[in-house]
Amino acid sequence: MNIDYSKELPLIHGRLSLGEIEDLIAKPMSEKPNRKYYIALAVTLTLFLIGAISLGYTFYYGIGMWGNNQPVGWAFEIVNFVFWIGIGHAGTLISAILFLLRQKWRTAIARFAETMTIFAVMVAGIFPTIHTGRPWLDGYLLPYPSQNGLWVNFTSPLLWDVFAVSTYFTVSLVFWYIGLIPDFAVMRDRTTTKVKKFIYSLFSLGWRHSNRNWQHYEKSYVILAGFATPLVLSVHTIVSFDFAVSIMPGWHTTIFPPYFVGGAIFSGFAMVVTVLLFVRKVFDLENIITVDHLERMNKVILATGMMVGYAYATEFFIAWYSGVPFEQFVFINRIFGPYAWAYWIMVSCNVIFPQFFWFRKLRRSIPVMFIIVILVNVGMWFERFVIVVTSLHRDYLPSSWGYFKPTIFDIGLLVGSFGMFFTLVLLFVKAMPVVSIAEVKAVADGAQPTHHGGEH
Amino acid sequence: MSDQNKDRKDVKRDELWRSVDEYNAGGVTDETQYHEFAPGVKEEFDVDKELSGISRRKFLALMSASAAFMAAGCSDYRDKGELMPYNRKPDDITIGEANFYASTYMGCGHACGVLIKTREGRPIKVDGNPDHPVNAGKVCAKGQASVMDLYDPQRFSEPQTVNQGEYTPAKWQDVDGKVIAQLTLGGEGSAVFISHKVHSPTAIKLMGELQEKYKSVRFIYYDLFAAENRTNAWKKCYGEDSVPAVIKWDEADVILALEASLFGTDGNSIEQHRMIRDRRDVNNTKKFNRLYSAEANFTTTGANADYRIRIKPEHYYDFVLTLMNEVSKRGKGKGVIPESLSGKLSAFTVDAFSKKAQLSEKGRKSLNALIGDLVSNGSKSIVYAGEAVPEDVQVLVHLLNEVTGGSALYSDTVANVELHKYSTSKEIAGLVADMKAGKVSLLVNMDANPVYHFPKELGFEEALKKVKLVVSMALLPNETSYSSNFVLPLNHDFESWGDAKIRSNFTSTMQPVIAPLYNTRQKEAILLQWLSGKTDGYKDTNYLDYLKAAWKENYKGNNFNKFWAGSLHDGVSMITDAKVVAPKFTLKDVPTENPLKPGKTAVILAESYALGDGRHANNGWLQELPHTISKVTWDNYAAISEKTSKDLGAKTDSLIEVSLNGKKVTLPVLVQPGVADDTVIVELGYGRTKCPVVALEVGQDVSVFQKTMNEKVFTTATIAVAEGSYTLASTQDHYTYDKSIVNTDDAHLKRHIIQEGTLAQFIANPKFLKGEKPSSVSLYPNHEYPGVKWGMTIDLNKCTGCGNCSVACSIENNVPVVGKDQVIKGREMQWMRIDRYYSGTPEDPDASVQPMLCQHCDNAPCENVCPVAATQHSIDGLNQMVYNRCVGTRYCSNNCPYKVRRFNFFDFRDHFANGYYYEEPVNLANNPEVTVRPRGVMEKCTFCVHRIEEARSKALAEGRPLKGSDVKTACQEACPADAISFGDLNDKQSDFNLFHEHDLAYTVLEELNIKANVRYIARLQNTTAEEV
Repeated sequence: MNIDYSKELPLIHGRLSLGEIEDLIAKPMSEKPNRKYYIALAVTLTLFLIGAISLGYTFYYGIGMWGNNQPVGWAFEIVNFVFWIGIGHAGTLISAILFLLRQKWRTAIARFAETMTIFAVMVAGIFPTIHTGRPWLDGYLLPYPSQNGLWVNFTSPLLWDVFAVSTYFTVSLVFWYIGLIPDFAVMRDRTTTKVKKFIYSLFSLGWRHSNRNWQHYEKSYVILAGFATPLVLSVHTIVSFDFAVSIMPGWHTTIFPPYFVGGAIFSGFAMVVTVLLFVRKVFDLENIITVDHLERMNKVILATGMMVGYAYATEFFIAWYSGVPFEQFVFINRIFGPYAWAYWIMVSCNVIFPQFFWFRKLRRSIPVMFIIVILVNVGMWFERFVIVVTSLHRDYLPSSWGYFKPTIFDIGLLVGSFGMFFTLVLLFVKAMPVVSIAEVKAVADGAQPTHHGGEH
Repeated sequence: MSDQNKDRKDVKRDELWRSVDEYNAGGVTDETQYHEFAPGVKEEFDVDKELSGISRRKFLALMSASAAFMAAGCSDYRDKGELMPYNRKPDDITIGEANFYASTYMGCGHACGVLIKTREGRPIKVDGNPDHPVNAGKVCAKGQASVMDLYDPQRFSEPQTVNQGEYTPAKWQDVDGKVIAQLTLGGEGSAVFISHKVHSPTAIKLMGELQEKYKSVRFIYYDLFAAENRTNAWKKCYGEDSVPAVIKWDEADVILALEASLFGTDGNSIEQHRMIRDRRDVNNTKKFNRLYSAEANFTTTGANADYRIRIKPEHYYDFVLTLMNEVSKRGKGKGVIPESLSGKLSAFTVDAFSKKAQLSEKGRKSLNALIGDLVSNGSKSIVYAGEAVPEDVQVLVHLLNEVTGGSALYSDTVANVELHKYSTSKEIAGLVADMKAGKVSLLVNMDANPVYHFPKELGFEEALKKVKLVVSMALLPNETSYSSNFVLPLNHDFESWGDAKIRSNFTSTMQPVIAPLYNTRQKEAILLQWLSGKTDGYKDTNYLDYLKAAWKENYKGNNFNKFWAGSLHDGVSMITDAKVVAPKFTLKDVPTENPLKPGKTAVILAESYALGDGRHANNGWLQELPHTISKVTWDNYAAISEKTSKDLGAKTDSLIEVSLNGKKVTLPVLVQPGVADDTVIVELGYGRTKCPVVALEVGQDVSVFQKTMNEKVFTTATIAVAEGSYTLASTQDHYTYDKSIVNTDDAHLKRHIIQEGTLAQFIANPKFLKGEKPSSVSLYPNHEYPGVKWGMTIDLNKCTGCGNCSVACSIENNVPVVGKDQVIKGREMQWMRIDRYYSGTPEDPDASVQPMLCQHCDNAPCENVCPVAATQHSIDGLNQMVYNRCVGTRYCSNNCPYKVRRFNFFDFRDHFANGYYYEEPVNLANNPEVTVRPRGVMEKCTFCVHRIEEARSKALAEGRPLKGSDVKTACQEACPADAISFGDLNDKQSDFNLFHEHDLAYTVLEELNIKANVRYIARLQNTTAEEV
């Protein structure tokens, strides 16, 4: 191959002009939704409704509608929570960390990933609030000044979760919104209907594309990126503390924070790729969200997948090395016990299949990557299932061992969470630019004229 | 104001003025300024005028009245029933303080003395009467749960006319009139009264009088579990009038239980617990007894035996004769064995038996040890055969006791009392024949359930149709009341008067602790009414008067009222009866043939510890009490050995068809380690059909196999796999024998959850357990407990795993029944559970039991993870749940290594059987001291914190410090073996604390350093010296 390493590869293919970029990205918002869109929305709303009905039953009759039992106090609800929080990791990582690392290729996918983060955290946030036996008392989880002098228990990781997740959500939301302001202004300028104009005007906060606007924008964006970066690491670290701080073998593990963060990036990227494959196809964004982008994401998936695999191996090593019989039993039970099927789904999906990404050809093949990222999504859901359920179902006293079987309400809520997520995604693609117009323009060929005619 | 203007001169000296204007105005104060309102505003002020016509007071009155009307109109306050405050405080009731009344519980054949706790006039808890010489302060699970029967929502509340299960209300007078007319009509044997065992001498007297008056009356007495084989054998051996002697269990050094569940269903388990387990005191190891068990079933007796020999039912006979032969060979019982037998004995050697019964090495060793012990302990040994063992073998067992000299343990001071004989199977068959022939015109069923209990082959139910008038006295609808013409509703025992005589030297009394909840009468009062021949004149006190009169007749003193009141107060009245005559073995013609011919598969119909003969089946607390060994709830099943299951190709939860005597029953399988091969163990008392919803169709009725009620063992059955499968609800999973790479074998031993040793080991080195103690260094300072610190010690040498504590705890703490579906899911709520672990091989397993409850850890892992601080540590060492604060994250339960926390996944009272336990009057059974937990809340053992607080207030009132011994937890009170002790860990010199610090005391999962405050005393197996 003859590659000129002195020159950056063009991030935008097809030699699009700045105006064409703008048109392309803004198109979905100016067109009326078509039949296919409505069919897609009907499907996601149906799934959402299934979740809502399951939730209704749960609220009316109690948590007993689920399969949870005495040794397995947490099951699908916490698995879903951790899964969705993990999905919500890619966005901020791409937009904040890659921004700080000056990775220009992020611009095409950052908006979408960030939006997914917001939605995933919204979905995730539902689960801790509904998983309690008495959700109407969830307010007790907040430290509010009570006349009775009641205070939350700051030693409980579940409380840390409340803070970590809400902080992460708030910062991600603000960060996402700040990034959207110039694009809202563009939309305001393009749109013709009064209502849309009013809404876009409202959200663009009087943006005038002025030099002064851009200066402030860039500054605040960097600051927020710096602010969001530690949160990427902290939120899943703290989620992992839910398990690591306990004394349950299989949970009580110091490797959990990095392991969880790695896994979260892994699953988040897989989900971003899953959805982007559709978005770039449907909205003709192949030139903006290019195969190069997808390939880079797949590289991250390969890397984080191996980190996760390494963590699996380390857990086993430590279980053996610790000499703690409880610990050893839990891990042997994971591979060969009643939940071995879940373990092997997890390992094959998370560790074995991503290995295909070693090959450039497979890495760049849309069908192959689609299958693999779906498998990674499945595998990462099962990873949380394995951690939560298999550790609990056989713990210290053999007398209290049990087996968890999900009910249709468990499955309904899982389905409903996907329904909610994709409904929000569908609404988003029709209401806001799925790619940052301003940022993409900035990295388009010829957008940054230099004295050397674009070459260093 | 002008008219108020007065001349300056009018002003008196002492009048007050505040300003010159006022002075000038006449010095009179402007009255209006003292008024709240402007002048003219009055109650009847006109609305149209400037000021509001309604005064503030009136406005407020109208406001509050309308608000009150609205509130009253919207609420259903009228439906709250009558609320009757005590205008004058009754002498014997203090609100908030419990009263205890001694009485007797007649729920089975033992008539144990009970102490009933009542709060504000309603019974809420039952414990044993400490003054009662037999059960001495303890009562079994059935007795504990009996309070729930009183409040069963489906109890008959008035007499009923029945038409094939259709119940319509009737009147006492009408039914009484019909019965009296029928009785008066007479006719040889035309009136039949069917009853369970009657314990009451006064009732017997009354029944005699009834028979006297109405010559047509005959009584049929039966019980499904009456130990008839044993009694009949006894009568054969020792004479027709003798009754089986009381055994001095406490003096027995060696006990052999032959298919006998001494800690369960055979004999008085409460008394046996006390007397046998008392000898397993680790502080008095010299007195350790040795328990042998030879059985086909696997009972708690086998689980707690020092040696267990697994034998098939067809080998009972050989087994007993082998013992007899080997013991007599070693010079025991010279001349006792009748010649008809002694000639044949020599063939029964250990070798021959081991071969025949295919004893394992372990079994053979045990047999040898047993023989050695029977020889060396002779008069201090006793052999006891259980319900299932056929009469002929029972005779040989009685003979064996004569041979070994064990008959010396028959009490010479107390004797069992037999107020009546049970009807023989012949008599029962005769009754049915008479019914079929139309010779019976009146059948009164006195709280028995013959349709369900009588062998189905007799066709009793069909024969009932030929009887003109069938009257059932019953508490709850049952199979017999279904086929009756009338039902007469009965008082519960707690609403009734009575007395009971089961042993010589004392009579126990029964008194009502609550007025009848409904329009019901007690059995004896109904009979008394019929005896009077009139339908009117019934008073609640009729039978009381009769009872007192009967007692007065026998009373020799001069202050009967005092004596009577004293008897009621104590619940027992001690009287010295005639001296006990020592039983003399007179039988010459002993059986010389095995009554059980070897067949393909043996079947044993066992008694369910919880349900008895099925009459307790509608009690959810008993249905949900896990089986003592298998831990299965809400079902009976075919327990078969692992080998049999493999031969058959069946697993736990498969269905098999058991064919016997031409009848077939399909049963779910439970692979039960320790059960004899080719033997099926099934419990009776299940499969009720015409009963309230709790018992309805729970399990299968296997009494269809029976030809007579005393027949409990069969050897000629065949079994085959049936289609389909079934889910048994077990509280403990079946994975205990997992030989795969996930090796769970002996996990409880490897994890030091169960720590055991032998007596010899302990004597040689009392600290033999302490060698493996993990170090417990902590970075953090320990909690401080300045006052009392609560702790518990559970002696596994005494605990047999009977489960009485579990029921007592549930009743005391308002623990709900969850139902079979929820047990299958693993959501049972019992705060106190009995864990059972197997070790060894599935053929000859050792079983260990361990009561498991909240360990109240100092460093409780549940406490730090609760986000809302709903579980807290108290200064006296309790781990407390704050139900109001709990939001139900279940994190605490996940983090509890003992998994003793229980979560209200549903509002279980609502969820179970369509809210059966929400119906009136079940709420009356709740202990008012304990919160009823709503759904979504975590709960667990509280160490009976309400009892602690009660003791604390009492101590405070008496001005003394609270002592550890002031508090008894419900489980401790209920434990028939006294295995549970509770007290103050800071009181270093107390007996409790010394026991807690015993060399054998250990903490489960000590290495976690969570500092549990419950300790277990390691079980010591009393094996023979040769084995050490």
